[in-house]
Amino acid sequence: MKRSSIWQKNLGLNILLGFFLLIILLELLMVGLFIDKILEEIKPDDDPVFIFNGIILYYLGIEFFLRFFMQSLPTLNIETYLHLPVKKSSIVHFVAGKSVFMAGNYLSWLVAIPFAFKVIATERDTASAWIWLAGFILLVFTNNFFVTYIKRQLVNNSKIVGIFGLILIGLILFDYFGIISLSSLSATIFGRLLKSHTLLIVPIILIILTYSLNYFFLRSKLYPDEVSHRKKEKMDSLSNIRYLKQLGLTGQLFALDLRMIWRHKRTRSIVYMAPLFLGYGFFFYPNPEYKDKLGFLIFVGIFMTGGMMMNYLNYCFSYESNYFDNILVNYRDFEKYIRSKYLFAVTITTVCFILTIPYVLFSPQILLVNTMTFLYNLGVLSFVLFYFATFSKKRMEMTKGATFNYQGLSAIHWLVMLPSFLLPVIIYAPFGFAGAKTAGLLFIGALGLAGLMFHKSLLNFILRQFNKRKYLMAEGFRE
Amino acid sequence: MNVLNSEPGTPSPAPRPMQLKTKYMITVQNLTKSYSGITVLNIAELNINKGESFGLVGNNGAGKTTFFRLILDLIRADTGTIISGEIDVKKSNNWKFYTGSYLDQRFLIDFLTPEEYFDFLAGVFGLSKGDQEKFYENFTDFFNDEVLGKKKYIRDFSQGNKQKIGISAALMSKPEVLVLDEPFNGLDPSTQIRLINILNKLKAENEVTMLISSHDLKHVTEVCGRIAILEKGVIIHDLQTSENTLKELEKYFAV
Repeated sequence: MKRSSIWQKNLGLNILLGFFLLIILLELLMVGLFIDKILEEIKPDDDPVFIFNGIILYYLGIEFFLRFFMQSLPTLNIETYLHLPVKKSSIVHFVAGKSVFMAGNYLSWLVAIPFAFKVIATERDTASAWIWLAGFILLVFTNNFFVTYIKRQLVNNSKIVGIFGLILIGLILFDYFGIISLSSLSATIFGRLLKSHTLLIVPIILIILTYSLNYFFLRSKLYPDEVSHRKKEKMDSLSNIRYLKQLGLTGQLFALDLRMIWRHKRTRSIVYMAPLFLGYGFFFYPNPEYKDKLGFLIFVGIFMTGGMMMNYLNYCFSYESNYFDNILVNYRDFEKYIRSKYLFAVTITTVCFILTIPYVLFSPQILLVNTMTFLYNLGVLSFVLFYFATFSKKRMEMTKGATFNYQGLSAIHWLVMLPSFLLPVIIYAPFGFAGAKTAGLLFIGALGLAGLMFHKSLLNFILRQFNKRKYLMAEGFRE
Repeated sequence: MNVLNSEPGTPSPAPRPMQLKTKYMITVQNLTKSYSGITVLNIAELNINKGESFGLVGNNGAGKTTFFRLILDLIRADTGTIISGEIDVKKSNNWKFYTGSYLDQRFLIDFLTPEEYFDFLAGVFGLSKGDQEKFYENFTDFFNDEVLGKKKYIRDFSQGNKQKIGISAALMSKPEVLVLDEPFNGLDPSTQIRLINILNKLKAENEVTMLISSHDLKHVTEVCGRIAILEKGVIIHDLQTSENTLKELEKYFAV
């Protein structure tokens, strides 16, 4: 058997991500190096230290949210170490302190260090610069421990996110209506720190406090059996989907897919993203600039009515990678299997389409565009995605969230994404240039209708492809 | 102990190889499979009679699981054919109508509760509500109150109970060919004995052809009438089980 290292397989992706990271680092460095010029440019009359201090709390707030969604929770399979002659407190310190090495802790240094020594050191004095920098960095790490603590809490208690969101919304509203001003608060706090250096004790206390929160929380969860008692999964109401059963095997496969999606973190987090896909139109429709850019509206339409379907069909076999052997051994009729997957995709797309109908209030044209792209998604994009799904051959880890989770994606999943959204725009382009806008739209819809008319032969084609590829898929999924 | 009912259930529309022209249930010819240049399985000829219980023993990496996967058409052989009944397993899906199998946890849909899983399989196999009731009844002892009505997903069950769910699921459709890879692994002693009884009863009453691999030499001699030793992908011994078989096997595996 061959073993593959994730670095080799995802080399292209890693190069791309590394490139973006480099650009971001360079940009931050530039901001840092020219921070005095930038601040002077924005508000030439004000004290640059005062302005900069005013945005620190905002920065920490934004950083909190970015970290919350992007930073992964440092974990350790404690059971593996509990039986070793290592002190329990060392294990807990290790897990609690691990997040210190997250890259997010160090990005802001690129701006903060030049600011401290270029601006504060000249406007105030060098000692103040050191104190300010120390305070800032301590707060960044406090933020880090705070985020980790909140995320750890979340594993056990999902209410906290709501509470937290409410507090944040409250703060923003207060700031907006001028009841509490975060910026002046921020400026005052850091201004004080610059005047009386002993106040550095406050961030020190804060970091000790947040670290201890993590430490004692982990300490209390040290024994795996105690944790699992609290984490015992609740049964969902999907345990009784009787009406689907009456639809025969197809209904059963539907029910299985529904449960699969709802009972895995990865797929469930995609469902939670649905409002984002469906709300995409709000970014563009209110803006009159896009009103006549039909090519653009087509893209938006494809994305809104097809985005969720794409998340399903593109990975429909990968999602089942954990029990793919079961499918191969037990399903006697792969035709029904393939057809039920397609029907499921059709259902998703139709629901998405219905939910986008209210956009007609912006203009009737939007409904026309979305109807045509809906047909295109059903008749063309669906089959393209389904066909390429048979090329997946990486087992998918289903228990982790979907944001920034590239595990289990094959190159083909990436390759197929862009063209599938751009193709209809390209098809439309010649019509657009010729001035036959409506004809172009109808043509896209007609393509979709044609695909729907020939769906039987297209599904047969995919079935043949599936029969050819199933061994390779199964082998990849077993790795 | 009421293990498996022997009277036939509701007639199923599935094609079953009741009347075989040959006495062989499984016929293997020229079967080879290699991974990156290394041959992991090489069986020139192997015939397993209908109703025979065929045990496969061998150390890790001997090719037992590979052989079973080939029989179940989960991997593609480099050369050779496997005929189940009269069906070439890689050309038709019809062998699935009379074959039950459990190789590893990939055979479980682990985000379902056991009841949901059995319901699902009953739907796939086309079993009636009555068949399913009968199935639960027959496996009451085997489940030992540790599987049904627990209100939790299969992924939250212990290793041994997962194994129970998988094995019972393989027997759900009353198969004529049964393929089990190390079925005794992870089972507690009582359940191991219950499983041996179930398998022996199946053999005696239903003429089920069984292919069972095991690391437990004693269990395999208790269940299987014929035992083959696989070493580096080649069957080096093929014995009819007798009183001396266990000793012979132990001698072979002694270091």
